[in-house]
Amino acid sequence: MSGGEQPGGAVMASTAAAIGSAARRGTARFSLGPVLVIPATLLVLLFLAAPMALLFRYSFNRYSPRDFMIEALTAENYLRFFTDPYFLGVLATTVQVAALCTLIAVLAAFPVAYLLARTESRFKSALVIAVVFPLMVGNVVRAAGWMALLGNTGAVNATLLRLGLVTEPVRLMFTPFAVILGIVAVVLPYMILTLQSVLESIGRDVEEAAANLGAGPLTVFTRVLLPLSLPGIIAGGTLVFILCMNAYATPVLLGGPQFKMMAPALYDQFARTTNWPFGAALAFILMTATLVLTLVGTTLLARRMHQRKLESAAR
Amino acid sequence: MVPTRISRRAALAGATAALAAPTGARAQSGGRLVVGTWGGDYQDLLKLNIEDPLIKPRGIETLYDVATAPPRKTKLLAERASRRGTFDVACLSDIDMFEMAQQNLFDPPTPELVPNMRYVIKSLSKPYALPHIYSGKVILYNPERMRPAPQSYNDLWDPKWRGRIGFADGLYMQVIESAAIINGGSPTNFEPAKPKLLELKRLEARVYPSNEALAAALKSEEVWATIMWLARGYMWKKAGINIAHVVPAEGATPIVFDKAVPRNAPNKANAWVWMNAMLDPKAQLGFADRMGYVPTVTNAEIPPEIAREISFTPEQQERFIQPNYDYIAQNNSQLLEWWTREFKG
Repeated sequence: MSGGEQPGGAVMASTAAAIGSAARRGTARFSLGPVLVIPATLLVLLFLAAPMALLFRYSFNRYSPRDFMIEALTAENYLRFFTDPYFLGVLATTVQVAALCTLIAVLAAFPVAYLLARTESRFKSALVIAVVFPLMVGNVVRAAGWMALLGNTGAVNATLLRLGLVTEPVRLMFTPFAVILGIVAVVLPYMILTLQSVLESIGRDVEEAAANLGAGPLTVFTRVLLPLSLPGIIAGGTLVFILCMNAYATPVLLGGPQFKMMAPALYDQFARTTNWPFGAALAFILMTATLVLTLVGTTLLARRMHQRKLESAAR
Repeated sequence: MVPTRISRRAALAGATAALAAPTGARAQSGGRLVVGTWGGDYQDLLKLNIEDPLIKPRGIETLYDVATAPPRKTKLLAERASRRGTFDVACLSDIDMFEMAQQNLFDPPTPELVPNMRYVIKSLSKPYALPHIYSGKVILYNPERMRPAPQSYNDLWDPKWRGRIGFADGLYMQVIESAAIINGGSPTNFEPAKPKLLELKRLEARVYPSNEALAAALKSEEVWATIMWLARGYMWKKAGINIAHVVPAEGATPIVFDKAVPRNAPNKANAWVWMNAMLDPKAQLGFADRMGYVPTVTNAEIPPEIAREISFTPEQQERFIQPNYDYIAQNNSQLLEWWTREFKG
């Protein structure tokens, strides 16, 4: 019996193994991965897609001061935007400010990111925390800080007056300069951190190899470091550009009532004139403009990066 | 096992009792209500003069949803189809309240629900809301810098005050109304304000994003005069800003801050208790002393020394320019757009 049991045992063992492997195959076939995505997808659908769909529908309604919003299916809100020089000007200002802030952020962030990536100091983590620290302070609080610095009786003007460099306070608040300064300060940490992670992945030996072959620091930067860090510039630039396009608190607080960007303009339509249909149209125009410009920018840069690779491969 | 089961039951019973206790206590204590209001001094005074002495002793808890008027209006509109709204009591200026009332958002107050309603000054009452406090629009100016003192809105257009006239962005409608009145307009025609204000724009009038920013500009003497509520001027004077006020020759325009109970208020009974409490003479006087707003009821008497600073004489009241809410509601959108694009732009 025992002899009979043995094969039987072997059969059972092999069956168990077979079941196990079938189960494993089954697991592979019916992976849990897609199932795990469902809760997040549902949340996004519920809290992002559904309100946006509703807002998109509102953008085709008609506004009436007496009836507030009239159900309709008209493109007049979109037409109004594209035929009105004022709102086109607001969009142009928004794009210009966002592009300029992104450029300044890249230029200002690169040296800091490079230093952070290359430093072997034991204070490296403290330096990273110092970069992250501004993110812990809200935009409004930071804008309040700028107001204290840039106001007519603020620290900057007080210093200029005391040094005798000016006789009257210089108008710094409620100017495009204040807005650009404020936005760059907000987005700079994002740019630095993105660039730092990419620069860290570029080995120091690559730079040393280039230097060994006779390349000066500028050549190393333009021919080696910059092309290799382009993915980081694209990623950081995209993130920062999107943040700049949608800036609200900084333009309102530092730009003052005269300076208009898209996010404050659409808030005005919703909250002050209660023109929800036009406000909704502005929201979708802003979103589309951000999306299109980001895609165009990243595609152009990525194509340039690809071309450089092909050129260097050909060499 | 049995003792264990009994003990678990006992524990469950105890836990249930413990959970039920506060609920019962809350129900007995009168529940809560949510007041949608401005923050700062105004909220402090609501607590000090209405909540603490008149609402809390009745076991009712007051929660404040603090925001400026635009988000509150947006919330009221967004929730208009909901069975349960956020606010039990909504605070808005008379102009904003009329605009919201056009959407049939509020329950009408009645003397049965609000016994103190019978003391409300007749000219301030309306069917959809109750007036809480009021003031009037005047000229505030720096008495050291502006001599002689302005007497009319027109005096602010004098070229010698170039760059020294400032406004708060939120008071666009009031500034437009003033300009209209001195240029042949009326409470139902603000169009003449447009060319008149463009004249002032050429004289480098400034617009500040908030009342606080304007106050800072008056304090630092960046600007010397503005058009503002007398009550606000009273507060600024108390805060040490060097300003005086003058009731313009054209007449002051009253501003009333109203409160209303939305139709979808979740705690309506408490809301009406609160509305009645706000009309209590003592509660009304608290706002007069600290914020400079005049009571809206006939049975609250302001001390003479404060009355001199914040009240309007019977002659001045006779000459009040009464706003036409319907005209303003119909034209708010186009006037705000004009203000944003042409005057500020």
